[in-house]
Amino acid sequence: MNNSMSKEWEYILHANRDVILEQWLERSLALFPEKMGYDTPVAEVLADALSKLLCGLGEENQRFRDALDDVTRILAVQSFPPSRAISIFFEPKTMFREMMMKPALAERLTLEVQSAFSSRIDELVLQAFDSYTQHREKIAQLKVEEGSRRMYMALRRAEA
Amino acid sequence: MSKYAPKLSELKKEFDEKPTVLKGDYSPQEWWERPVEFRDGNWCFSGKPEVLQDLGFANPRKWAATDDDWQLPPGWQKTISEGLQSRLKKYRSLKLFLDACVRCGACADKCHFFLGTGDPKNMPVVRAELLRSVYRNDFPLVEKILKGFSGSRKLTEAVIKEWHMYFHQCTECRRCSVFCPFGIDTAEITMMVRELLNLIGVNNNWILAPVSNCNRTGNHLGIEPHTFVQNINSLVEDIEDLTGVAVEPTFNRKGAEVLFITPSGDVFGDPGVYTMMGYLLLFHHIGLDYTISTYASEGGNFGMFTSNDMMKKLNAKMYHEAKRLGVKWLLGGECGHMWRVVHQYMNTMNGPADFLEVPVSPITGTRFSNAAATKMVHIAEFTADLIHNKKLKLDPKRNDHLRTTFHDSCNVARGMGMFEEPRSILRNVCNSFHEMAEDTIREKTFCCGSGSGLNAEEYMEIRMRGGFPRANAVKQVKDRHKVNSLVTICAIDRASLPPLMNYWNPGVSVYGLHELVGNALVMQGEKKRTTDLRENAMAGFEDGGDDEE
Repeated sequence: MNNSMSKEWEYILHANRDVILEQWLERSLALFPEKMGYDTPVAEVLADALSKLLCGLGEENQRFRDALDDVTRILAVQSFPPSRAISIFFEPKTMFREMMMKPALAERLTLEVQSAFSSRIDELVLQAFDSYTQHREKIAQLKVEEGSRRMYMALRRAEA
Repeated sequence: MSKYAPKLSELKKEFDEKPTVLKGDYSPQEWWERPVEFRDGNWCFSGKPEVLQDLGFANPRKWAATDDDWQLPPGWQKTISEGLQSRLKKYRSLKLFLDACVRCGACADKCHFFLGTGDPKNMPVVRAELLRSVYRNDFPLVEKILKGFSGSRKLTEAVIKEWHMYFHQCTECRRCSVFCPFGIDTAEITMMVRELLNLIGVNNNWILAPVSNCNRTGNHLGIEPHTFVQNINSLVEDIEDLTGVAVEPTFNRKGAEVLFITPSGDVFGDPGVYTMMGYLLLFHHIGLDYTISTYASEGGNFGMFTSNDMMKKLNAKMYHEAKRLGVKWLLGGECGHMWRVVHQYMNTMNGPADFLEVPVSPITGTRFSNAAATKMVHIAEFTADLIHNKKLKLDPKRNDHLRTTFHDSCNVARGMGMFEEPRSILRNVCNSFHEMAEDTIREKTFCCGSGSGLNAEEYMEIRMRGGFPRANAVKQVKDRHKVNSLVTICAIDRASLPPLMNYWNPGVSVYGLHELVGNALVMQGEKKRTTDLRENAMAGFEDGGDDEE
């Protein structure tokens, strides 16, 4: 990735952080049956995690990876299909495009900057897909483990 | 791919056809108009025909909630309507709860299923409204005249499907009722609807199979007496290996002072068996004259999730057995809904238990007059009293490898108001105990998300959603105080919290309270202890540690 381009979108992201975060959270909550409320534990965790994701987009750290995990962990047990769950990670692209309408930013948001940001978001989507899949695998594993725990004494005798 | 995961073709159909809220493409229907949609993963498997036949329940057949035709019996509307009518006459509480609600909404955001799913039909007020709307259509005269203004509706198959979906997304935990200014107990509404659904064969195998097993062999898994004894004896051997002490439980012994009854999960499942080891060590430590029954071998009562009659029948076996064995009183293990049944329903269902004595602790002389009607004492009360009277030799350092928090089990907390006894025990058997946030404990405790017979494997995602508020509160103490152990006093919790923790808070293990008691008890004639009952190393007790004699 072109470093100066990266710096540029990071600057724009930082300058508009609150607006982006608000929109991102709103669209994430809209995934749920009748829009999840803001004052629910799910919304609290999402707000915190999405904020950490935005902070860490430029320079990834453990906090960023944990936050991504927190978001996909919630998404992986919802009633909506995987495609819809993952769709929220594309949202920052849309929001960036929308910002071009603002005259103050139009100049800075060149095509190159947009393309650099777009690549970063594509990468985020793939990371999210990996993380989401891990949680789905975990659910399958929990079912197996639960069965074994329930039959603990019987299995112990069988193995003795 | 998991066998319960949606098929690719279904996903594609959904992707193509469903509106997505993301781009402002909202569904043309309002949420209350949308029909429920069953798909694998959002319903518990239906009762097997042979299970229903064993119990003499209605409409045994092979069916699935995903079928278009649920094969309801002829005249099912009449069955439901008459069933509701007779229950309204029999239970004044039901009529009161249906009439009194003013839709103030105080309960709305208190339900863990609503908080975890965001689905408005999971607001307790709306869930109850699913029944109320039918009640209004059929019953009070004024409502009949005002039809159309009162939110009433006809009883159709779609209503039955909606009931099945949402009254199986209620764990009867009663958190909502704590906040209701009228004290409406939504759990009782759920109990009634499930009872009505059972009249027409709309059911849940994870509830009915244990009911049938319990009815036949005395416990949920259908363990027969010899296996039941064998399981406990093998725990006795484990205890001897770990502590060098030979505990000697007796079975079906006539003339014992106390009959001890615990959920059978403590006899067959992990981590329940470690809690059982704790009980056995405790009884040996104080020299209690007790016996365990292989007939009344289940504390749990899934009848509560089925019908009033079944709850009564399963509860009665405990008292029959107490009478047959000629014990003085009953001691009950760590269980959730067993205590709601005993504490709130037993006396009017099967009481008074006049043939038993008001329980008196043979060790401390404490008279448990709170159990004067049921003659059954909760193990946490019993042990807290022992500790209060300094009758136990405890070394809390033996639990130093555990940093604990306490999950109030719904039925013990809200169903019998027990908050302090387990905490008092916990403070005496371990050195690290951190409370979760105030609005998530005691009477405001959040359910594990799997209570009331929803602990089915095929229901895992919904359980994870329903348990999210509880898990989130545990995460806070995990992050803040490095808590690694969630202690609880309910067998369903011991079964359902391990996957919940494993999913949301990996690294947090689930313990029964008396397992920690068992770890801490300094037994007469014991050998040097280096591991806990799970054979995990205890901190500071390694060879050459500070506990060398």
